Amino acid sequence: MEKNKSEIVIELTKLAKRYDDEAGVYDALKEVELKVKAGEFLAVMGPSGSGKSTLMNIIGLLDRPTAGDYLLDGVDTNTLSDKDLAKLRRDRIGFIFQNFNLLPRLSIMQNVELPLVYEKIRTAERKRRVREVLSEVGLLDKIDSKPNRVSGGQVQRAAIARALINKPSLILADEPTGNLDTKTGIEIMELLKKLNNSGVTIILVTHNPELSRYASRIVEVRDGLLTEKEVKK
Amino acid sequence: MIWQNIKNAFLSIKSAKLRSALTAVGVVIGVFAVLVMVGVGDGVKADIEGQISNLGTNVLTITSGKLTQSASSSDPKQQKGSGINLASGIGASTLTEADVKTIATTPNVTSSAAFGIISSSVTKDQAVNNSAFVIATTPSYFDIRKLKTSQGSFFTDSDNNKEEFVAVIGADTKQSLFGSEDPIGRTITLRGKQFVVSGVIEKSDAGVSLGANPDDIVIIPINSAIKLTGKNDVFRVIAEVDSEKNVEKVKASLEQSIRSNHSGSDDFSVLTQKELLNTFNSILDILTTFVAAIAAISLLVGGIGIMNIMLVTVSERTREIGIRKAMGATFGNIMGQFLTESIIISLIGGVIGVLASYLAGLVIANFADITPVYSPIALISALGASLFIGVVFGTAPAIKAARKHPIQALKSL
Repeated sequence: MEKNKSEIVIELTKLAKRYDDEAGVYDALKEVELKVKAGEFLAVMGPSGSGKSTLMNIIGLLDRPTAGDYLLDGVDTNTLSDKDLAKLRRDRIGFIFQNFNLLPRLSIMQNVELPLVYEKIRTAERKRRVREVLSEVGLLDKIDSKPNRVSGGQVQRAAIARALINKPSLILADEPTGNLDTKTGIEIMELLKKLNNSGVTIILVTHNPELSRYASRIVEVRDGLLTEKEVKK
Repeated sequence: MIWQNIKNAFLSIKSAKLRSALTAVGVVIGVFAVLVMVGVGDGVKADIEGQISNLGTNVLTITSGKLTQSASSSDPKQQKGSGINLASGIGASTLTEADVKTIATTPNVTSSAAFGIISSSVTKDQAVNNSAFVIATTPSYFDIRKLKTSQGSFFTDSDNNKEEFVAVIGADTKQSLFGSEDPIGRTITLRGKQFVVSGVIEKSDAGVSLGANPDDIVIIPINSAIKLTGKNDVFRVIAEVDSEKNVEKVKASLEQSIRSNHSGSDDFSVLTQKELLNTFNSILDILTTFVAAIAAISLLVGGIGIMNIMLVTVSERTREIGIRKAMGATFGNIMGQFLTESIIISLIGGVIGVLASYLAGLVIANFADITPVYSPIALISALGASLFIGVVFGTAPAIKAARKHPIQALKSL
């Protein structure tokens, strides 16, 4: 999945999200414009409640905008059914969560292969690809362990492997180091940087300015609006 | 995907063993109850079938009242599943002395016996037997019914003609009144009159059927009974036909001649053994269906138990659903996963229920006179029913799971 550097993975146009419930009307996002190119390492900064989680959910196809357009790999996601969105999540997006979100009953192998299971890939092929990504994140020896038998850093490595398994167009990392100690956090960030150097597009969501140094470009969300902060060479 | 779902279901069941077991118990009880009830019903049916065919297929039973809708028809299609009207058989008998003579003189009838039922308790000194069936008939009854004595002998035509107060008793009746003593030549009391026991009937190998115990019986000569009660009430007549192929012909001829005795009134029935069997079977089928329907309610309750637990499971695993959806699971994937789980719990319950009812069958056969019969159809239906229960009661929780919004699901703890 080596992409042309100039290829645009994500294009948001006048994207808005309004919550309208018993608590009243609330605009989480107001006319957000954003383009992300293949191979970028984008950091989305912003305090909690700024709307950055809402933005991540929409980019991750877990939620739909109330207005505006979202093109993923040139496909207008507004026109897609829930089933099509599920398939896009499976094939194009890798999620890395703050709290890892591995299924405790399943082994590392079974967790990592999950997207392939939903893609109906055969067992032998699944096993081969799981071993490949696990060695990439340095966790091959824990393939049959349960998540609660390995360290937090290793769990997050497993989650990264799961995010990589389908060679996605982008990886969404939401505070990936939030539940890790500093040293392990740095290891995880180094791993993400390494993946980015090998061509994977990464969107990192964080409120921690320390992490933004890994990013090639920084944007900030505040009060539902997005502003460009910095673009590195 | 199906294989993955089954694997996931077993993982989930294993992670909550006690809860899954208790949930399955509901289905176990339901399947067990239905199977045992139907099995006992079929067992009794097989038993009666054996008893009636033992009596010979060349025997006709003439009874008062119009017992079946198509009793006068010899068309087998109409006889099949004929409606029964039990009430018409109750009350003062319409059969007369003249009918008995007509039957006895009908061509191809080799032997016939009219019998009446006397309601009386049977006593001997202090011992009282209220359960015995007291029958008044002629000696040919013993031949047609193929009865044998284990002690003494049956009464004879001469005993009957002389209105002797003699009695032949069943093995259980003998046991209840005499214990291990020899009853021959001793007396029992019916309606205050003393009857001398002339013989004991060999114990039949058939079990208790329809509440009437064939071994708890007192048979007295019909003329003695008329002397005792002052009336001759013919309850039924049994007639033996020379050959099985003449049964239908004799039946038709009897129907015609008795109808003319009754001035054209169809207030009696001539039944072949097969029709008699059908009559019993229809009663049993109604009873079995009724009891099985009650038992099926427990299956329903078992299903509600599954639904209840699956709803709890779905809320507990909301986060898992969120993760799976983020990984690309569709509505159908999630629904399939939870539906598979409820089906497997239900099927496990069904299989255990089948095994338990089989074991119960062995126990019942050992301790009661009935051997439950489990037909393959019943077993397959039981498993089919548990599958059905799993699907029906698993669908709502599975839909609830599949409908969860990924973000809300991921946010939940």
